[in-house]
Amino acid sequence: MAAGSLFCASCSKVLDEQPQGVVSSEELNTPENAEKMVIAAYSALGNDYWQTPYSSMWAYGSIRSGDAYKGGDGPGDVGDFNAFETFNLNRVDLANADATWYRLYLAIGRVNDALTRMNNLTAEQFALRETRQAELRFLRGHFYFLLKILFKRVPYIDESIPKTDYEKISNTDLTDEQLWDKITADFRFAADKLPESQSDRGRSTKFAAKAYLAKALLYQAYIQDDRNNVTSISQPKLTEVLSLTDEVINSGKYSLSADFANNFLSRFENGPESVFAIQYSKDDGTPNGRSDNGHSLNYPMNVEYGCCGFHAPSQNLVNAFKTSAAGLPLFDSYNAVNTAAGDDFVTNSFDPRLDHSVAIPGHPYKYRPSFIFQVSWTRAPQVYGRFMSMKETVLPDDPAFKRFPPFMSSSKNWDIIRYADVLLFKAEALIELGRFNDAVPVINSVRTRAANSTSLLIKTDGSSTSNYRIDTYKPGINCVWTQTYAREALRFERRMEFAMEGYRFFDLVRWGIAAEYLNSYFAVEKSRASHLRDAFFKKNRDEYLPVPLNQINFSKGLYKQNTGW
Amino acid sequence: MMKKVIFYCCLMLMAALNSVAQTRTVNGTVTDQQNNPMEGVSVGVAETGKATQTDAKGKFSIQAEPGQTLKFSYVGAKLYTVRVGTNATVNAQLDLTNSLDDVVVTGYQKERKKDLTGAVAVVNVKDIKDIPLGNPVKALQGRVPGVQITADGSPNGAASVRIRGIGTLGNNDPLYVIDGIPTKRGLQELNQNDIESIQVLKDASSATIYGSRAANGVIIVTTKRAKAGYSRIDFDASTSLQFYTSKLKTLNAEERGRAYWQAAVNDRSDPNFNQIYQYDWNNNFDNPMLNRVIIPEFIDGAKTMRSANTDWFDEISQQSILQSYNLSIANGTEKGNSLFSFSYYDSKGIIKETRGKKLTGRVNTDYTLLNGKLKIGENFSGTYMKDVLIPTADVTGLSQIVFSIVPVYTINGGWGGPAAGMADRQNPVRLIEDNKQNYNNFWRVFGNAYAELQLIPNLLLRTSYAIDYNGNYARTLRKSYTSGFLSDPSNAVNTLSNYDGNRIWQNTLSYAIKKDKHQADFLIGQEQINTIYQGFSGTRQGLALENLDYAYLDAGSTLKDNAGSGTSSALLSYFAKANYSYNDRYLLSATIRRDGSSRFGKENQFGYFPAFSAGWRLSEEKFIKETLPVFSDLKFRYGWGKNGNQEIANNATYTLYSAVYGTNAVGNYDAGTAYDISGANTGQLPSGFALIQQGNNTLRWEETAQHNVGIDFALFKNELSGSVDYFIKKTSDILINPAYLAVIGEGGSRFANGASMQNKGIEFLLSWSKQLNKDLNITLTGNASSYSNKVTKLPAEILTSYPGNGTDKNILGRPVTSIFGYVADGIFKSVEEVNNHAAQPGKDVGRIRYKDLNGDGTIDALDRDYIGNSAPNWLYGFNTSINYKNFDFSFFLQGVQGSDVTNTYKGLTDFASLAPGANFGNRTLQAFTPQNSGSTIPALTLVDRNNEGRTSTYFIESGSYLKLRNIQIGYNLQPVLKNLKVQRARIYLQASNVFTIKDKSYTATDPENPGNAYPIPLITTLGMSVSF
Repeated sequence: MAAGSLFCASCSKVLDEQPQGVVSSEELNTPENAEKMVIAAYSALGNDYWQTPYSSMWAYGSIRSGDAYKGGDGPGDVGDFNAFETFNLNRVDLANADATWYRLYLAIGRVNDALTRMNNLTAEQFALRETRQAELRFLRGHFYFLLKILFKRVPYIDESIPKTDYEKISNTDLTDEQLWDKITADFRFAADKLPESQSDRGRSTKFAAKAYLAKALLYQAYIQDDRNNVTSISQPKLTEVLSLTDEVINSGKYSLSADFANNFLSRFENGPESVFAIQYSKDDGTPNGRSDNGHSLNYPMNVEYGCCGFHAPSQNLVNAFKTSAAGLPLFDSYNAVNTAAGDDFVTNSFDPRLDHSVAIPGHPYKYRPSFIFQVSWTRAPQVYGRFMSMKETVLPDDPAFKRFPPFMSSSKNWDIIRYADVLLFKAEALIELGRFNDAVPVINSVRTRAANSTSLLIKTDGSSTSNYRIDTYKPGINCVWTQTYAREALRFERRMEFAMEGYRFFDLVRWGIAAEYLNSYFAVEKSRASHLRDAFFKKNRDEYLPVPLNQINFSKGLYKQNTGW
Repeated sequence: MMKKVIFYCCLMLMAALNSVAQTRTVNGTVTDQQNNPMEGVSVGVAETGKATQTDAKGKFSIQAEPGQTLKFSYVGAKLYTVRVGTNATVNAQLDLTNSLDDVVVTGYQKERKKDLTGAVAVVNVKDIKDIPLGNPVKALQGRVPGVQITADGSPNGAASVRIRGIGTLGNNDPLYVIDGIPTKRGLQELNQNDIESIQVLKDASSATIYGSRAANGVIIVTTKRAKAGYSRIDFDASTSLQFYTSKLKTLNAEERGRAYWQAAVNDRSDPNFNQIYQYDWNNNFDNPMLNRVIIPEFIDGAKTMRSANTDWFDEISQQSILQSYNLSIANGTEKGNSLFSFSYYDSKGIIKETRGKKLTGRVNTDYTLLNGKLKIGENFSGTYMKDVLIPTADVTGLSQIVFSIVPVYTINGGWGGPAAGMADRQNPVRLIEDNKQNYNNFWRVFGNAYAELQLIPNLLLRTSYAIDYNGNYARTLRKSYTSGFLSDPSNAVNTLSNYDGNRIWQNTLSYAIKKDKHQADFLIGQEQINTIYQGFSGTRQGLALENLDYAYLDAGSTLKDNAGSGTSSALLSYFAKANYSYNDRYLLSATIRRDGSSRFGKENQFGYFPAFSAGWRLSEEKFIKETLPVFSDLKFRYGWGKNGNQEIANNATYTLYSAVYGTNAVGNYDAGTAYDISGANTGQLPSGFALIQQGNNTLRWEETAQHNVGIDFALFKNELSGSVDYFIKKTSDILINPAYLAVIGEGGSRFANGASMQNKGIEFLLSWSKQLNKDLNITLTGNASSYSNKVTKLPAEILTSYPGNGTDKNILGRPVTSIFGYVADGIFKSVEEVNNHAAQPGKDVGRIRYKDLNGDGTIDALDRDYIGNSAPNWLYGFNTSINYKNFDFSFFLQGVQGSDVTNTYKGLTDFASLAPGANFGNRTLQAFTPQNSGSTIPALTLVDRNNEGRTSTYFIESGSYLKLRNIQIGYNLQPVLKNLKVQRARIYLQASNVFTIKDKSYTATDPENPGNAYPIPLITTLGMSVSF
C-alpha cells in the first residue's frame, strides 16, 4: 500500500470516468428539449419493422382475417405469422406477440416521458404547451388502441404513475370498459385542446382526434363479455360516434380523393382524404430513410424489387371483388367459383378496387400498363398462390422508393385514418342505431368514388384491365334495403374499401362474428391453400392474442392471461 | 631505470606470451542424465565473462584457461560448475531430474514449479512452435486440460478460449498477460516464434493476483529475450497447402427437380405448378412415376440465365497456400541483451479471395547498470494485419442454398442469381468478387518500459509503464449489382477508423528471504489501467466509378452519412502476496488484491479479492522416501480464492439519453428519434432523445470463488509424471442486463448483479517419457478434463430468457448450455399410427411424430423438455513424440466427447418445406415414401404443416469427435551442416486436421464446425528452421 500511495498521488480521480456522447434526464427539461421529446414520441409511430408491423397492422389484421395469406417462402418463413394466420398454431410464448407488445409500450414510454416534461412547463415558459400535451395524448390513445385490439386487457400506464410503480400495475386493474374509457379520454382531451389545423402536416388536429375518438367509441360500443362474446351494442356510444363523424364531415376539412388510387400513391400523400397519417421520409440524413419499414417484406420478387413476397391476397378475397349484373357484391355466392387467372377477369365483372388492391398475373402492376405482374414475381406460388398485395408498395422509379437490400420500402405515408373510414363509421353507427336508410347515401358516396376510379386501371392499349361493373345501392331498384341487408352491405363495403389495409380482423371481432366467419372461410379455403389445412379459429380464445408469457413471467404473475389461453 | 623498464617489459611480454600459451579453446558436450545432448545450455567462464551456448548436438567451444571456472546453466537444471583442467575437452552432465526447478511466471513474479500450490498448466511451447495456424492459441487446442478452445478455419480467425467452462453469463474470455501486461485481446496478433513460454492459471488461488478480470482464468505469455552469452540468428520458413475437405453434398440441378417433384406428388399437388422445372410423369398421385425432369433452357423470362449444374462449393473454394517466415536475432552480454525479430505470415484461405496477412516486429532489450543493481529494459512489438473482407459465413451458407441450376454468370457475362421460385439469396461468387477489393487494416503496438532496482540485497523495486494500442482502418467499396431478381443500383464507399488504447502502470516491491529451512518471499504492488476507445466512420453513395482507387469519400455524391462514438474506463488496484515454504515441504501462499473500477457505483467501486493456498510435498517426507521411493515427487495442493469480473458497459451506472436520429436498421427496428413532422418527405428532420439505459449505482463486482484440490506426482525418476485437479467454482452476483417488463419501455436495459452459477470439474494430465536406448526417446502425454455447469440462481422474471418454458421447466439447476424443445419420436408409418397418436396439428403418414410428454393427448408447447446440452462431457488430447537419431516424429489427437450440437444444416439437407426456395442436401433423396418407409427422414412436402422446423431432437446430433490435429516428422540436418557454423538446422513435414472420426448420428460434415463458420482446412506444411 505504501508503494501504491507513493506512486499514485491523486488516486481518487483515477476512477472518475464521465459518460461520453450522451445526456442526462435533467438536461431535457427545457422547453426546447421538451419539444424535441414530442418529436421523439411521434417518431415511434413508424419505428416498427417487418417483424412487428404495428404501423399498418397487416400481420395482425389482414392475414388473420381471411383476406390474405402470410406469404413469403413458406409457413416457416416468419413462422409466428403462420401461427397467427392458422390460429390453432398460435402460442403464448411466440416472440412476435411479445415484441409487438414491447414496442408499443416503448412508444407509450416516449409519450409519457415527453408528457411529464411538458406538464412541468408553464404556459408562460412554453406557449404551445397545451397543444403539445394534446398531441401527445392523441399519440398515447393511438398506441393503447392498438394494444387494446390486439390483446384486450393491458396494463394502463400514464404519466401520473412513477416509474418505480410500473411493476405494480396489472393488466386487469381496469375493466374492459374502463380501459376503453382511458383511451377515449385521451382522444377527448386531444379533440378538446387541439387546433383545427396545424402548420406541420404530421401533427394531429382537432378533427383527427374526433375521428379517432369516433373509431374508439365504435369499437367500445360493441360490448363484450369476459369470453369475448359481443353481448350488446351501446346505443349512446353509437349516437356519439354519429355526432363525432358528423362534426368531422361537416368541418369541410376532408373529402374523398378523386381517385381511389390517390390514397396509395406517394405523390398524393397528405391529400384531402388523409385524416391522420404516419409521415415517412427518405434522404433525410439517415442511412435508410425514416421509411415504411413495416411493409418492407411486401414487395414482389423480380429484378426491380427482389424481396420478399409477403402479404398475399387470399383466393377468397379476390373472389369477393366479383359483382353481380347489377354491379353489387355477391354476398352469398361470390366464393362458389374461383376467379383465378386469365379470362376470369373478363368474363366476370368486378369492383374496380380489385385492381387497386391485388396484383394479378397479367395485369399492370401499380397502375403502370407496361409493368405487367408475373407469376414469377410471387415467392412461393405453390403455397401462397399467385396474387400479391399492392396498396402498400410503390413503383421502383417512384421518388419515394427506398431500397436497402435485401429489403425495400418507401417514404410513402401510411394512413391510420382516412376519410372513407370516417364515412363508414358513420354508416355503421346509423345502421346499428336502426337508421339504416340514412346510411345508404353514405355508403354510396364511397361506392361512387370507387366507380369513378378506373382511369388508371388500363392496359397499354387503353382498355380496362378487368371487366368493371359497380353500382350504388338503390333500395327498391337493385336491392331490398333492410337493416340486415344494410349491415351486410356495410361490412362488405368495408372489406372492399380497406382490403389489405390491416384492420379487417378487428372489424370481425368487433362485430362478434370472427369465429363463424373464419371457420367457414377455412372450410373452403383449405382446399385451395394447403397451408390452411389444419387452421381453426377457437371461439372465446382467438379473438385476442394471448398476453405474452414473457410479460406474465416478468410481472411475476401479476398479469392475468386472456380468456381461453 | 632503463633496466627496470626493460625488465618489466620483458615480464609483461612473457606474461602475454604465457597467456597466449595458456588460453586455449575448450570443447565439450553437455548432456542430461540420459545422455541426451542438450541444446541451448549457457556456458560461461566465471572469471572472464566469456559466454556461449551449446548447439543442437550439445556441443560448445569457449576460450578458457586452466584453473578458471566454467558455469553451465539451463532453465530447469541445477547450475553445474567445473574447473578447467589441463584437458581440452570438458563434458558436463546436467541434472534435469528436477524439472520441478523450472521457473514459472505466476503473476508479477516467478516461482519454482515445485513451490506452486495453485492449478497452473505449463504449455510445452516446443510442441506447437511449427504449427502455422496464425494464432498461437489455436495450436493449444486439446493440449491443456481444462481449457476448451474452439476456432474456425479462417485465415485469421480469432479463437474462443474457455478455461474451466462457461463461468458467467457475460464475457467468458480469459485475461491474457503478455510480458506482464494484462490485455483482453487474444494472442492472434503475436508472432508464434516469439513465444518463450505459456502458462495457464486456472484456479482462483493462482489467478487472484490478477484480481479484476481474472475470473475466467489467466493465460500468461512470456516472449523470448536474449541471455548473456547468447548470440544467435534464427530463421524459420514454411509453406503450406490448405484443402477444403468438409464440403456438404447438395443436390445437382436434376436432383433438385426430382426432390421438388416428390414433395409435390406427396402433397398431391401438381408438380408442374412450378416456376423452373417441368415434369414428364404419369399424373397418378396414387402411384406416381416420374419419367423425366424437364430442365428449361433458361431459368429466367429474359433468357439470360442458361440452366446450369453449378456446384457452388466448388465455385467458392480453392486449394490455397499459406506461407510463414520468421527471422530473429539475439545477442546477449553481461551488460545488456537484445532480441530483434520479424515475421511475415500470409494465409490465403480455402474460400476464394480470402486472405490474411500479418507482419510482426519485436525488440526486447535490457541493460544492466550499477553493478547489476539496476536493470532497465523494454519489450516492444508492433503488428500489422491485413484481411480481405469477404462475408465468408454468407458465402458458405449460400453455397448450400443457391440452386445448382443457377449459372454463375449470365450469357452476357453478368451475375447469375435467383430466378422465380427461389429464395432471395445472393450468388456467393458475386459476394466474393464484389468484396475482394475490400480489406481491413489492423495495427497494434504493444509494449512496456521497465526498471528494476535492487534497493538492498533481495529487495527489488520494479516499475513498468505499458501501452497497448490497437486500431482498424478500412475503406470499403460496395458495388452495384444485378444478380437474378436481386439488384441494387446504388454503390457506396465507407471509411472507418477506430482505436482502443490501454495504458498500464505497474509498481511492485518484492523481497525474498531464506534462512535455514525457511524460505519466504513477499510482494506488494499497485496497478493502474486506463482504457479509451474512439471511432468514427463515414459513408457516401453515388460513385461515378466502382474501383477502390477512386472510391474515397470525396468521390461520393449522395447520401452522406457518418457516425462516431467514444468511451473510456479505468481500473486502480493494489495487491500483496506472500509465499512461504518450510524445508521444501510445506508450502503456503496468500494473496490479497483490492480492485477499483470506474464501471461501478461510487460506493462499490472497490472489491477485495483474497486467496489462500497450501501445499505439502510428501515426497520430501522421510516416510515416503523410505516406503515409496518410487515417487520422485508427490505433492498435495489446495487453494481457494476469489476473482472479480467487471465486463459491463463503461457507463452502466448512469441513466442516459441519447440523440439517436435514425439508425441503420436493415431487418430490424429503427430506434430513431427523428420524425418528418412537417411532411416534407426529405431533408433534415427535427429529432428528440431516447432513453438508452437506466443507471444502477449499486452495481458491484461480480465474484467467482473457487476451491481447487490437486495432486502432482512423478514416479520412476520422473519417467512418469502427472497431475489431477478437482475444482468447484461458484460465480455469484453475475452481471446481467436482464430483459424487463415491457411497460418500462425504452431504455429499460439496466445492468444488475443477479445470477449465480456453479462449475465443477476434474482434470487429468499424465506424461511418460523414456530414453529407450541411445538413439530412441519416446514421450507420451495425455490429458482429459470434464466439467459440469449449472445455473443456481436467476431472478424469476428473467427465467424465460433462458432455455425453458418459463413456468415449471426452467434453467435453474441445469447447464446454461441446455437445449429445450420437443422430442421427435420417429416417423408415422401408417394411418393407424397417425390416428393412435395425440392431437398434433399437421400429423400425417411420413411426418415426424412428437412425443406427448405430459400425456394430455395434445402436442403443444407443454410437451417441450430439455433435450440436450451443447457443452461436452469430456475434452481430451493425446500427444506422442518420438526421437530417433536425427529424426523426430510426433502426432497429436484431440477430441471432445458427449456434446450435443444443433445441426442447423438439417433444415436444408432433410426438408423440402423449411426453405422451399433453397437447394436441398442429398439426404432429401432418401426421404420417406410409402415405398421407402424405413427411412428416418420425413416425407418431402412443400408445406410444413407439421411445424417440423421446431426445436426438436430431430436436429440434435452428437458433437463428439476425435481429430488427428497434427502429425509431423522432422530431420535434424545440423550434423551435415556443422562446417557452415550452423547451430541448428531442421526440416520438417507436417499436416494439421488430417482426419476426423465423428459419431454416425452427425449427418453434416464437421461436428466441430456445425454452422456456417469458416470451414476448417486440412493443412500440409513443409518447413525448415536454421540457426547460426
